Amino acid sequence: MIDLLSVEDLSFSWGENEVLKGINFTIQPGEIVAILGVNGAGKSTLIKCLNRIIKMDSGSVEVFSKDLQSLNLIELSKLMSYVPQSVRTSFGIDVFEVVLLGRRPHISWRVSSRDQKIVSETLQFLSLEEFAFRRFDQLSGGERQRVIIAKAIAQDANLILMDEPTSDLDLKNQIGTMKRIAEMISQSQNKSALIAIHDINIAAKFADRILLMHDGKIVSNGTPSEVLTSKNIATVFGVTCQIIPVIERKADAHSY
Amino acid sequence: MALSDLSSQYIEKSKRHVLLIVLISILTLLFAVYSMGTGSSSNLGFWSTLKIILGLEEGSNVQNAIIWDLRFPRILMAIVGGTALATAGALMQGALGNPLVSPLTLGVASGAALGAALAIVLDWTIIEYPPGMTIVLNAFLFSLIVVFIIIQLGNMRSISPESYILVGIAITFISGAIVSTLQYFATDAQLSALAHWSFGSLSRPTIENAILVSMILVILLPTALVWAWDLNALSMGGEEFAISTGVDPVKTRKNILILSALMTSIVIAFTGLIGFVGLAAPHMSRIFVGNDFRKLIPCSAVLGSFLMLFADTVGRTLFAPVVIPVGIMLSVIGGPFFMYLLLKKSGGKF
Repeated sequence: MIDLLSVEDLSFSWGENEVLKGINFTIQPGEIVAILGVNGAGKSTLIKCLNRIIKMDSGSVEVFSKDLQSLNLIELSKLMSYVPQSVRTSFGIDVFEVVLLGRRPHISWRVSSRDQKIVSETLQFLSLEEFAFRRFDQLSGGERQRVIIAKAIAQDANLILMDEPTSDLDLKNQIGTMKRIAEMISQSQNKSALIAIHDINIAAKFADRILLMHDGKIVSNGTPSEVLTSKNIATVFGVTCQIIPVIERKADAHSY
Repeated sequence: MALSDLSSQYIEKSKRHVLLIVLISILTLLFAVYSMGTGSSSNLGFWSTLKIILGLEEGSNVQNAIIWDLRFPRILMAIVGGTALATAGALMQGALGNPLVSPLTLGVASGAALGAALAIVLDWTIIEYPPGMTIVLNAFLFSLIVVFIIIQLGNMRSISPESYILVGIAITFISGAIVSTLQYFATDAQLSALAHWSFGSLSRPTIENAILVSMILVILLPTALVWAWDLNALSMGGEEFAISTGVDPVKTRKNILILSALMTSIVIAFTGLIGFVGLAAPHMSRIFVGNDFRKLIPCSAVLGSFLMLFADTVGRTLFAPVVIPVGIMLSVIGGPFFMYLLLKKSGGKF
């Protein structure tokens, strides 16, 4: 099977500070991959390098075997969508129009009925229809975060990159939103998600695979049960813990 | 809520917005006719003016002269000037993701003011031909220097929206200091000329000037619309969001700022400093049609032309035969109306 994403020897520095040190991993279609690690481990920087928000220093990134650097931004945004940690705007923009921006790579000028349908479906998919014609800047942080996730889903890209997408959500919405993302990935033959996240339980419940980052490197890459060991948690987070498996979870996930 | 409900609500809303833009356009045209018949020297009435304009009625030589030679150039300049400055304001606010920005923010107008001051006080001009146009040309060429600075800033990949604004403020301070120094050494007549230039007036442009600005705008305005979707993404605030929707924020911002700076300088060179319309018209338009630049640009353009025309007509007639410059009238009339819309209609938020 062709890799949806292939990252080889990716490195990046902020001046003298080496943030990413020779990152290697692949993502297969249909996979949800979580990136775990402490603050400053390089999770957000890695996602931004993949999305060309920041320019990597060296290494190669391929999406469906296409070199990331050879794509223009429109081509790239058809392959990857992105959910930043937060989005703030100074202007009053309707939620429907924010989600419609996800269709921007597919629209030249006119909004087609297909674009409208996709936006409407996505809003319903994330139970956001009641907010459709409310102003984005007047929503709560959690509601805004869900709208930006809706925008990324409406973009209909193969890989959805998310930087702490549930950080502003309450417990119910964290689980509800992740369930929806998992549903979207499982319903498609050629979509995947790469999610930088702090909540180990959410990662364990929804991820097929976890990349554990420490000091700019991937120190462990595998299924949740392979990665989330007491030893790894102690090494990376400096916390001693006990792993208690919960049976009904996806894959062979664990809880704490 | 059914799927089709959301789509139909969106379509309905869009249709209402387009209708509103058409209505403001019609109102502006009707007001232009009224304005052509109204003034200190002769009041013709709306229908008589319309008949003379359409050639259905033979006006007297004096009436024709007043309508076509005296009022038409300033009314055309009000329409195109308002269109240009309001559009430039909308573009700049969107490109920089900042609601406080206006066409004067980047220092283009300050550059023009410096050019005008050098021409008026020191008689120092870059180009000395044609006679009678030297102040306008100097103002325009100095504003182009600022456009050139914007281009150079845009070539720096790491330039942030805030840097553009700060450089604009620095240019404004530098130009302001030089203009103040020139004022210090100026004669009374020069001071008067400089003050008159800085008020922003529609009495200076000739019909040739107004037509020239109109022709340039016919080219520049559609170019602005090409970037509507990019502006929608950029105005969400944040380069990350723009990039993730396929927009290169640095390149797009640079192109849009050059376009809007050119629009501003071509008008301000002829009219002098007119600031308020470029700030207020885009915000008023946002209240009417939202932030989708496909509608916001046309709405700002027509609303800007209406505001400019309205302010100039009031300025011409309120204390006739004394004419209050449009720049002053815009702030006096537009300011309270702008605050009313902001506080009452949008709950204090744009």
